This record gives sequence, C-alpha cells and structure tokens, in this order.
Amino acid sequence: MKNILEVKDLKVSFHTYAGEVQAVRGVSFELRKGEVLAIVGESGCGKSVTSQTIMRLIPSPPSIIKAGSIIFDETIDLVQLSLKEMESIRGSEIGMIFQDPMTSLNPTMTIGKQITEGLVKHQGLTQEKAQKQAIELLLLVGISRPETRIKQYPHEFSGGMRQRVMIAISLACRPKLLIADEPTTALDVTIQAQIIDLLKDLQDKIGSSIIIITHNLGVVADIAQRVAVMYAGKIVEQGTVDDIFYSAQHPYTWGLLHSILRLDDEEKSELVPIEGMPPDLLDPPLGCAFAARCPHALNICLKEDPQTQIIQDEHSMACWLMDKRVKVKIC
Amino acid sequence: MSRFILRRFFYMLITFWMIVTVTFVLMHNLPGDPFANSEKLSTQQRALLSKQYGLDRPILVQYEEYLLHIGQGDLGVSFAYPTRKVTDIIKESFPASAELGAESIIFSVLVGLILGITAALKHNKSWDYTAMFIAIVGVSIPSFVLGPILQYWVGVKWGILPAALWDGPANRILPALTLSFMTIAITARMMRTSMLDVLNADYIKTARSKGLSQFAIILRHTLRNAILPIVTVLGPITVNVITGTLVVEQIFAIPGLGKYFVQAVYSNDYTLIMGLTIFYSLLLIVVMFLTDIAYGFIDPRIRLAKGRN
Repeated sequence: MKNILEVKDLKVSFHTYAGEVQAVRGVSFELRKGEVLAIVGESGCGKSVTSQTIMRLIPSPPSIIKAGSIIFDETIDLVQLSLKEMESIRGSEIGMIFQDPMTSLNPTMTIGKQITEGLVKHQGLTQEKAQKQAIELLLLVGISRPETRIKQYPHEFSGGMRQRVMIAISLACRPKLLIADEPTTALDVTIQAQIIDLLKDLQDKIGSSIIIITHNLGVVADIAQRVAVMYAGKIVEQGTVDDIFYSAQHPYTWGLLHSILRLDDEEKSELVPIEGMPPDLLDPPLGCAFAARCPHALNICLKEDPQTQIIQDEHSMACWLMDKRVKVKIC
Repeated sequence: MSRFILRRFFYMLITFWMIVTVTFVLMHNLPGDPFANSEKLSTQQRALLSKQYGLDRPILVQYEEYLLHIGQGDLGVSFAYPTRKVTDIIKESFPASAELGAESIIFSVLVGLILGITAALKHNKSWDYTAMFIAIVGVSIPSFVLGPILQYWVGVKWGILPAALWDGPANRILPALTLSFMTIAITARMMRTSMLDVLNADYIKTARSKGLSQFAIILRHTLRNAILPIVTVLGPITVNVITGTLVVEQIFAIPGLGKYFVQAVYSNDYTLIMGLTIFYSLLLIVVMFLTDIAYGFIDPRIRLAKGRN
C-alpha cells in the first residue's frame, strides 16, 4: 500500500540561551493511506514538536530541522519546501487539530468565517459557496442548527462543540492527512469519547490518514491501527496496536502499560508509576535515554545507544535487552 | 445592544450630576470671592454685588437654580467678563482647542499604531529597538520641555514653521506634534505588547495551519484582537490630550479654552470655572461612552455579556 507520509531520521533542535535543546533526535516512521497512527509518550518527549514540524508550524529561529526528510504523498519533501509553498499544503493537503479548543479559535471572528477562510483560499470558492460547504461540514461534525450556529462566535460554543468546529476547519478541504495533536486532552471524559468516535466516523467518510498524538493509551486502543512510543526525542517501540498492548518488548512501554488503570483486573492492583524523570535534552545521555529509569538496565545501556531492530513484521524497537548477545531473560 | 447603550447612557447622566455637585460644593468652599480687588470694596458694595449675582441666597437655593439652568443649557454669565455668557466663551474658543486635540489624537494614534505594529512584527530587530527608543523618549519628555525646544529649533533657528499663534495650517504642526509625543509613546508600547501577545496565541497557529498567508493572518486575525486594549485606553488618552491642550495652548499662544480655564481659577470666576469644568467633564464622559460602545462592536464577547443582564 502507498505511504502517505514517510519520516526519515528527523532531527529537530531549539536554540536557547542555555544551549541547543535536541527535542527530536532521529525519528523515523511511516503512515499508510487510510491508516491511523498514534504517537504516545509523556510530556516533553517530542511528540508535538514532531507533528508541528510535519506542518512546519514551529518558527525558525529558534527551531531548526537539523537532519532528515518528511516525504509527503511519495513525492514532496516537506523539509525542503519554502514557507510560501508550505502555505498551499497546509489546510488543503494536511489539516491539524490542536489540544485546547478554548484558545485555538479566534474570539472575534464568526465560526462560519473561520471555516470558510481555508475553502476560499485553497479551492477558490466564492463566499456563498464556501458558506454552504461550511454548513454541511458543521452537520458532518454533529452540530445541529448549523445555519444559525455559523453566524455565532466561539464564546457561544461549549468546549466539546468548539473541538467539533476545529475538526470541521481542519477537514474543510478534505486533506489527505490529518494531524490531531492531543485532541481530547483539554476535554472532560464523556466528551473525549464523543470526539474520538467522531474522528473514527469521519475517517470512514473522508478517508484521510490520521496521526493522533496523545498520552492517553485508552484513546490509542480505541482509534489507532499502529502505535509509535516516543521517549526523549526518539521512537523506542513501534508496532500494531496488538503488538504494543499484548507483546510489548521495551521496558518503557511496559512502564506505560503498568501505569494505566485496568477495569478487567481481578484483584485491586496498584498503579505503578515510572520512577525518575526524563533526561535533560540540553545534554542527552550517551547511552539509552531510558537507562537511568530502567529497572532492567545493563552496563552497555549507559554507554551505547541501542539500534532500532525489527522483531516481527511491523513490530520494531530499540533496546539492548533484545540483542542476541544479551543472555538475560525477563518476563 | 440598544439596552446596553441605554444603560450606559443612564450611568452617564448620574456621573455628570455627581461631577456638577462636587464641583459646585468645592468651589463655594474656596477661600476668597469672585470680585476683583475685593479688599478695596466696602461691605455695602460687596453686599450689593452679592445680591446682583444671587450669592447672598442660601447655598441650596443657588444649587437648585444652577441645576435648572444647566438643564436648559445655560451656564450663566461670567463674573470676570460681565458682558459675556459662558456658553459664548466656549463657542468662541473651543474650536481651536478641539481642532488641536483632534489633530493630535488622530496623528498620534495612527503613528503609535504603526510604530507598535512594526516593532512587534520585527520583534528584537533594529526596527523594534528604534520604535521603542522613540516611545521611551516620548514618555520621558514632558510637553512643556518639548514645546519650547521645537519652537526654538524648528521655529526660530531654522525658521521652517511658525513658532506660535494660530493663523494657518502651518501653525497647527508644532503644537500638535508637542501634544502628540506622549500619546504616540503610549499607543506604540501598548500595541507592541498586545500584538506580541496575539501573535503567540493558539488561534494564530490555527490560522497558520489553514495555510493562510502571513499578510492575511496579520490583517484578519491579529490586528482586530490586538487593537482591543488600544480602544480601551482611547478614553484616558483623550483625557490626557485634553488636559495637555491647557499647557500647550499657553506655550504656543493659541486662543483656545485653556487660557480661560487658568484665568478663571485665578479670579474665582464661579460661573466660568463651573461652566468649563462641566463642559470638559461632559466631553470626557461622552468620549468614555463612545469608547465603551466601540469596544462592544469590536469584541463580540462584551456585546453579548452586557446585553444579557
């Protein structure tokens, strides 16, 4: 199947007064047409920087793309595009949804205007035609009375409704790729489920490929086909949802899975947090970034960074424990 | 919206009444009396004069009569210029003050906005530093220093522009410039901060993710939101400029209201002080009222919140 997106060895750094912060340190992944990929990891692991770099939304300076390529639709390398060329891709080929719907809509512009803007720019529609499309889009994302709602301002919508509007904006031009950067984090739990259902439903209707960034593993299981686990600017494990949930191989993924509540546990089990703090990316460690927090760390883990290796089909990970020369067995 | 305006109008009347009352009370408690060379007057003459101007009656009666007259738009006759009504003095000298004030506000807000916007868009580059340097200079130099400097260099030394008086368009430039400096500085600084805030807002990222051009983002998404704080300070800015005209008119010998105001206070000219105070406060109240309405138009959140309750 065709790849809609191929990220290869992407490295992104920020120049700060303290020095160079290596936020993304060589990330590679692929996204197939019509697929949903979830990128998970704790705060500060580089998920958002990766996704916003695909959109080229991070201002430079202070950020710089140090290395790597982002091949979109098999032909275009987004890293090489000028900002002007990028403008014609943003919104039309790639749409994006942000974390906080309370602040990501312009408070002084009607909802209708905010939806039609992209349509007018990318598809050259007249305001009237764009208006009609906007009404359809609002219906599509489940907002009733769209004819009246379209003339209203963001403050007249609730948080969940605003996120629906954001989704309508991002899907207005039927993009091939939708990036959802923690789309449910700022919403309450019941609304979260509705938004995820809506995204699933829309994916069936529109057929966009989706990258969903989240630290909520429940969301991952619900919507994604494949998962990439990020830690300290790198992807440590990658595979299908089953690979990650049922046969995870990386100690960090184990840690993540142990730190969520399970309803199917027979006895009351305690949540196990991952001890320690992620490393300072101003001065990343020589060896494996997770070594300092890893209960199974070996001597080699502190000295040398493990290479990514394929375990089975699509399941890959980077950990010394899987190296053939290592004789210990855990589990 | 109309309910909001009606309510604001009602508040406006109350404010106005309070100002009239407080000025009235304060003025009647001032030491001295309004008659020139009063120490040379005999008690009899004084009583006669007081009777003529109705100052011998109980203060409450005077107050009541005064309120009634204001209601009819009559501010009385000046004590110092017994042949002239206060309203006539205003009619005659206000146009010059108003023109100076209006020119200064329009000029300074425009320049201030442009400086502020440029500074924000070229954040931390030389444009930014230049604009902010001008702003600091503007805030630091008071008009009674700047005015004479401009008069001396531009007016006298170089002889490019007239140094004083109020004869033609060229006479407007120096006083308006003097009056504008402070406002330019305030507007530029506020607009810069506000622009920087808005440029970092999440909805600007949303706008960029739609693929809009930088120009469209600034025009449609940034300016309207960034200008809100400026609209709020337009009221106080007008107050600044209006009080500023009092000084600048003196420096440039402009036949405006400011001259009368200062003289009226020196000579205890009750009716003229009252009349001018009332006139100026009415002006300010109306400006504030208009600012509020303008704010409501620009920011839909305020329009709604105020219309509701």
